[in-house]
Amino acid sequence: MLTLGAPLFLLAGALAALIPLALHLIRRRPPTRSPLPTARFLSEDARSSIRVSRPTDRLLMALRILLLLLAGAALARPSWAPAPRGTREVVLLDRGAAMRDSDAWRRGVEEARRTLIARDGSARGDLVVFDTSAVHLPQRRLTGATFDSLAAAGPTANPASYAAALRAIDPAVRGPRGADSVRVTMLSALRRGGWRPGMAALRQAAWPGAIRLPNVASSSPLDGAPISQAETRQSAAVIASGGAGRFVVPALEATGWTARAVDRLPAVPSDARLIVAIRPAGDLRALAQAGATVVLDLGGAGSSMPRWLPVQGSATRQRSDAGDLWFGPDLQLPGATVRADIRPKRGATVLAAWDDGRPAVVAARLGKGCVVFAGTRLEDGALPLSPSFPRALERMARACDGARTADAMMPLDAGARAILAGRGAAVVNAAADGGAGAVAFGRWLMAGALLVAIAETILAYRPRGAA
Amino acid sequence: MPASATTGSFLPPRLLERLGGLEVVAKTVVRGFLAGSHRSPRHGAGEDFAKHRDYQQGDDIRYLDWKLFARTDRLHVREFEERSNLSAYLVLDASLSMEFADGDDPSKLRYACYVAAALAHLMLGSGDAVGLAAFGAQPQLLSPPRARRGQLHDLLLQLERLRPAGSGSAADVLDRVGGALPRGGRVVLVSDLLEDDDGDALVASAGRLRARGDEVIVMRVLTPVEAGERGGGPGLFFDPERPAREIAAVPEADAGYARRVAEYYARIADRLRERGVEYVALTTEQPVESALAAWVAARRG
Repeated sequence: MLTLGAPLFLLAGALAALIPLALHLIRRRPPTRSPLPTARFLSEDARSSIRVSRPTDRLLMALRILLLLLAGAALARPSWAPAPRGTREVVLLDRGAAMRDSDAWRRGVEEARRTLIARDGSARGDLVVFDTSAVHLPQRRLTGATFDSLAAAGPTANPASYAAALRAIDPAVRGPRGADSVRVTMLSALRRGGWRPGMAALRQAAWPGAIRLPNVASSSPLDGAPISQAETRQSAAVIASGGAGRFVVPALEATGWTARAVDRLPAVPSDARLIVAIRPAGDLRALAQAGATVVLDLGGAGSSMPRWLPVQGSATRQRSDAGDLWFGPDLQLPGATVRADIRPKRGATVLAAWDDGRPAVVAARLGKGCVVFAGTRLEDGALPLSPSFPRALERMARACDGARTADAMMPLDAGARAILAGRGAAVVNAAADGGAGAVAFGRWLMAGALLVAIAETILAYRPRGAA
Repeated sequence: MPASATTGSFLPPRLLERLGGLEVVAKTVVRGFLAGSHRSPRHGAGEDFAKHRDYQQGDDIRYLDWKLFARTDRLHVREFEERSNLSAYLVLDASLSMEFADGDDPSKLRYACYVAAALAHLMLGSGDAVGLAAFGAQPQLLSPPRARRGQLHDLLLQLERLRPAGSGSAADVLDRVGGALPRGGRVVLVSDLLEDDDGDALVASAGRLRARGDEVIVMRVLTPVEAGERGGGPGLFFDPERPAREIAAVPEADAGYARRVAEYYARIADRLRERGVEYVALTTEQPVESALAAWVAARRG
């Protein structure tokens, strides 16, 4: 079946071809003057009735009409595809650890079965099962039993990699012929752990159309919510008072947190994954043990250092010649006005050090969460004015691996979901991708038009008398 | 110009090969001022020997073949072919109309030169004296008839120098040729016969030549386009000899054109034949050698 991507160009080419035809019919070339010794035997015609048309004129006219028709046809983006045979489905099924939540795996498998298995039991597409890598199950191998086996086996403990899934799309859509269009669906819990920087370029290259992202994770806070309204940022609380927190809150916002300042512990939101205390707020240990990351500076620790902090020392022993905090060769935070002489407890990790190498920021796991102690005042002096202040805060907020793991299990944010879904058509003509048996021949028509143009030029500008 | 180059130009090997075995047979017996070769003491035996026959009483014993007598012990006399030489003029039309050419075919003048060169070759080979005359801007007797060995070279050189010009009539040059040629000669006119007076003067001049005993052959040369055999596209046409008069026409659509041309030449041919003039119609697409071969074959018949 012939398909035109832009049929108006074909019409425009046909109309344009009428122009050289009309010009050829209208134009009257002055009759040529030729010797003929037997001219006396000619019967004279009225001069106006003499219409001269050289054979090459007709050839030129034909070439010009052909050129315009070919160009119009080429711009119409024609393609030849077999008769319509419906839409082939390609399902990317997440088998990573995130699918263990609730009945996400069961729902994913059922959705894949509904998508790929017709009522008569025949398969109508390919299945790609992925976690850290992807396994392509072609249409000919898919049966109802395949999905029964998958449901029984359950998800793996590996994190899912969306990159692996995206890379598997191309071989899956170029599978056996038989459909004139393709639709791609990804069934995943959509967690941050599967996302990597640079994924946008990979997504664009993997598939020109959209990818359907049905929700299969019932435990996700995204349940029932459109992508645009999805919860995308983690909540953070800054315990401060009297105008304090005016630097920390925007710095956290800048690094992807939804932060707000509270003046006391009970005001901390229950979903807060990060609590930054820059004034004494009581016992924050329970929050840390419940899974949150608690960051305290000298102001938050107060005069009496709580025993559950990962450091030893005294907050009262402070020095005014503080210097710079070094979080590593790539991150330096200058401008601190005070510093405490602290020593990390056993099992604690030094996140940052002063210029003289003494510990400045120490972190340690506590229960399900993490406790971070910064041996300075975060909002004093020029320290919060440094450009690297937000990154330093983020480094403290992600201090513990356990926190990173928790983050990996957080829902994918709206921007990433939008990138993953793409903006193309949900059902992509197989011809547009050059697969599934369709042949796009616009470029060949354009090449033909180019050859005709060259022939026309040679014929039109040949030396006189060559014809 | 070297003789070989000239000869090669007008007598290509292919033409010579075809014409090599032909011999022009004159219909009219003329007496030349040169005696027949078998009567001339300058002619030795051998070249013109015809056959032996038994000696009969009364035969000239000078023609007895003594060597044969020594071998066979019988008397034979040698017989020679009697031959006579005639003077011929090749008359070429070099008017502007002869410059016309049809496509890749040679122009009419060039074709006429081919024909004249071929005839000169044949006639000189037969011992005839051949001269050349032409007319265009004015009638010219370019070379008197001669039978010497270098005459062919001279004639071909003159043919090479011919350039189309003017619009003269063949009658004038025929009259001048008649004055310069002994009676009983041969005149071959090669022309397109496009005359202002529909050929009246030409026919009269040819008739006068014929009346005094000359053999007159008129070869008409025409291109297929002129003859109406090949269509021509629309345009403004003019006679090269009268360029001021233009005719807007479409030859290929003019049904009467070919008929009028044919009638014109048929009239001239009839009038020439009435006066005993031989008329040969040629077109430039005909191979020269095949045209001449057909002509010679017809004369033999």
